Amino acid sequence: MTPERWQQVSRIFKSAISLDGEARAQYVAGQCGVDESLRNEVEKLIESHQRASDEKFIEGVAAEDGAALIIADDKSGEQQSALNKGQQFGSYVILGALGAGGMGEVYLAKDSRLDRTIALKVLSPDVSSDKRRMQRFRQEAKVASSLNQPNILTIFEFGEVDGLTFLATEYIDGQTLRDYLHGNRLKLGEILDITIQVLAALDAAHEAHIVHRDIKPENVMIRRRDHVVKVLDFGLAKLTEKRSSVLTDHDADSEAATAVKTAPGLMMGTIHYMSPEQAQSHAIDERTDIWSTGVMVYEMVTGAIPFKGATSSHTIVQILEKDPVPLSQRAKVPAELERIVLKAMAKSPDDRYQTAKDMLIDLRSLKRHMDVDAEILRTSSPTTARATVATDETPHQPDKSRVVIYALIAMAVVTAAIFGINIWRSSRTRTNPPTQPPAAPVVERSLTYWITVQKFRNGRPYQQPFTQPGEMIFEADYQIRVNIRSPQSGYLYVLNEGPPDASAQPEFVVVFPSSTANNGSAFLAAEQLVQIPKQTWLEFDTQQGTEKLWLVFSENAVPELEAVKTFANRETRGLITDPAQNKVVQNFLTTHSATKPAYDRNATLTTLKAPGKLLVYAVPLEHH
Amino acid sequence: MKKNPPPQHHITQLLAEWSDGNQAALDELYPLVYDELHRLARRYMSRERKGHTLQTTALINEAYVRLVDQRNVHWANRSHFFAISAQIMRRILIDHARRHAYAKRGGGAQQVSLEEAAAVTPDRSLELIRLDEAIKSLSEMDPRRGQVVELRYFGGLNNEEIAGVLNVSENTVTRDWNMARAWLYQQLTGSGAN
Repeated sequence: MTPERWQQVSRIFKSAISLDGEARAQYVAGQCGVDESLRNEVEKLIESHQRASDEKFIEGVAAEDGAALIIADDKSGEQQSALNKGQQFGSYVILGALGAGGMGEVYLAKDSRLDRTIALKVLSPDVSSDKRRMQRFRQEAKVASSLNQPNILTIFEFGEVDGLTFLATEYIDGQTLRDYLHGNRLKLGEILDITIQVLAALDAAHEAHIVHRDIKPENVMIRRRDHVVKVLDFGLAKLTEKRSSVLTDHDADSEAATAVKTAPGLMMGTIHYMSPEQAQSHAIDERTDIWSTGVMVYEMVTGAIPFKGATSSHTIVQILEKDPVPLSQRAKVPAELERIVLKAMAKSPDDRYQTAKDMLIDLRSLKRHMDVDAEILRTSSPTTARATVATDETPHQPDKSRVVIYALIAMAVVTAAIFGINIWRSSRTRTNPPTQPPAAPVVERSLTYWITVQKFRNGRPYQQPFTQPGEMIFEADYQIRVNIRSPQSGYLYVLNEGPPDASAQPEFVVVFPSSTANNGSAFLAAEQLVQIPKQTWLEFDTQQGTEKLWLVFSENAVPELEAVKTFANRETRGLITDPAQNKVVQNFLTTHSATKPAYDRNATLTTLKAPGKLLVYAVPLEHH
Repeated sequence: MKKNPPPQHHITQLLAEWSDGNQAALDELYPLVYDELHRLARRYMSRERKGHTLQTTALINEAYVRLVDQRNVHWANRSHFFAISAQIMRRILIDHARRHAYAKRGGGAQQVSLEEAAAVTPDRSLELIRLDEAIKSLSEMDPRRGQVVELRYFGGLNNEEIAGVLNVSENTVTRDWNMARAWLYQQLTGSGAN
């Protein structure tokens, strides 16, 4: 069809389809006159138009169909790495497939040079195609292979055959601690044995400045024949995290906190063993492995994971803020074990065991003093243990504690359990869990908040806004409004702290009051509703992470915060630009956030209650 | 919260140059946006649960937010960005469709004409490829109608948004769409052989 003809057809078609039946036929006939072929073309096009409408032809969006293609395409790419039984792969002969993991497939193979059976891990192409990651991985594999410690899985070779990157390691006939935990109730002696071996592996690795970063029951193997423990995947953890972050994060350096929960099939649950610094994407060191080991011991003892929320962001909040239910409330264990686990799981790395060796020494000495065959009795109800405690108020002497403990253990398991709770009480540095009401609630601050969420598409509001009572994971195109109200009058300050950046000073933005909100005054009348912002929405920036929205509600004006109100103008968007002021705010928030308010959440809102005249709470806002 | 958007000047600059008529800017822009959209698409795929479909507009919007410094950008640039993104989404999907179709035929050991292959295996990838070819023919005769299809089908934009991008009335978009779709339907079903 020539462009001229096309124009002609299209002009007639355009008007014709706005007409019906007879009128349309007459119009087309009139327009085409004696030009039969023109009329033919127009009529055919009209018919096609009707059929296309009826069939909803290309009514959807290509991507809906194309989505399946992208997935299928990616999958066929992965399958290229599949090796078959009997196949020669370099100097290895494939004996069979052992399984597939996050990073590739694992095969049982025979090394024909040395006639030994090995495990062959073939990395999937999308892992091995990233040169920067591979470079680092290669380096770590090299260091890990030099460790040569009996509890670390030996790496034989790291290389490439036919463009496929592989790792040849010692083959362990056994099961992972995860599987082992499924079928067995572990005895205390066994738990100590496993943990001591894990720590021995970590000690050697840490000496070589290798941090495992992903200690969890899935990465601990127990050899069938002699129950020797092997820690897997040294140096791989980093790679796994990076891989998931490629799938989920924009920011190459934002860490696994967001990665783990969003990448499907990538060992969900890793998050449960993450240290607070890991969960916050802070810089991590050897002490993160100490934390994860502590969590693992806790799980072996109680059969339960210490921090487990309804969603991964709830779990992260727990990891960051909650004390675990004491071991002794869930199982009858020596107080010394309680102390060791709590020390391993101290929120601040500085309060933890500083080295794996220190923790190992404590566990060894506990083991020596223990009746190692003692069964662990898991108590079903924490309240029974609590009830016993109430009768025993003997003050605890820290210096003598260990001596006393060992004596008590020897005396009776029950006594030890009682003592354990005392240790826990006196050694803990944190405040009461929110569930415990304050002894004499004479003065109390109370504040209620909820969040309104508006989804955006193409820069425009999309669907109805909805409200929810607390934290959720906000998508990039969600915008929010924070609603606050209190039955009391008082002074309210709301500040936003950006996602943590280990290298920099935290940044604070004064959100309320501002020159436009509440006339710049922090004073709030009882039941006055504060909406931040009132008309528009708060937008997240493109930097992913968890921000903190600090709510400070005080009976009296807070001088430290009154002073920074001046920053809340339009030019700096409330950012506290003065370093000295920033420090003042940071100190104030850190000092007062130690007292966590109790919170009560229902379907629509969250109510915070704090004893005293001041309430300080950080609402975590996690966004992609 | 919004305070320190990362530097995105490069892409913003390219977009501005392109909308000022510098075609070379497009050549530089194209691979950057292609990579970003492709990565986002795969990420969405891997994240979406079963039964969910890919929201192209959400995807492009995310790419836009991420790539473009919105403080220094005019609305026209946004339209341009959506236009180029629709084009790129088309390319991404067709690339995948081709690879898919190729793989299905045993790595292209023997070349089969599209019509023949379609007769043997009715496959979405082939339908997409044929549609793409037809849109090309349409664009040769009538570039604007070709673009309406591209924006709507590949870019996921609605008529109102397309009108904004092309700077025409919404009625014009509706009419263009009717005509273009009827013609494409005719081409693909063979009901209107020339």
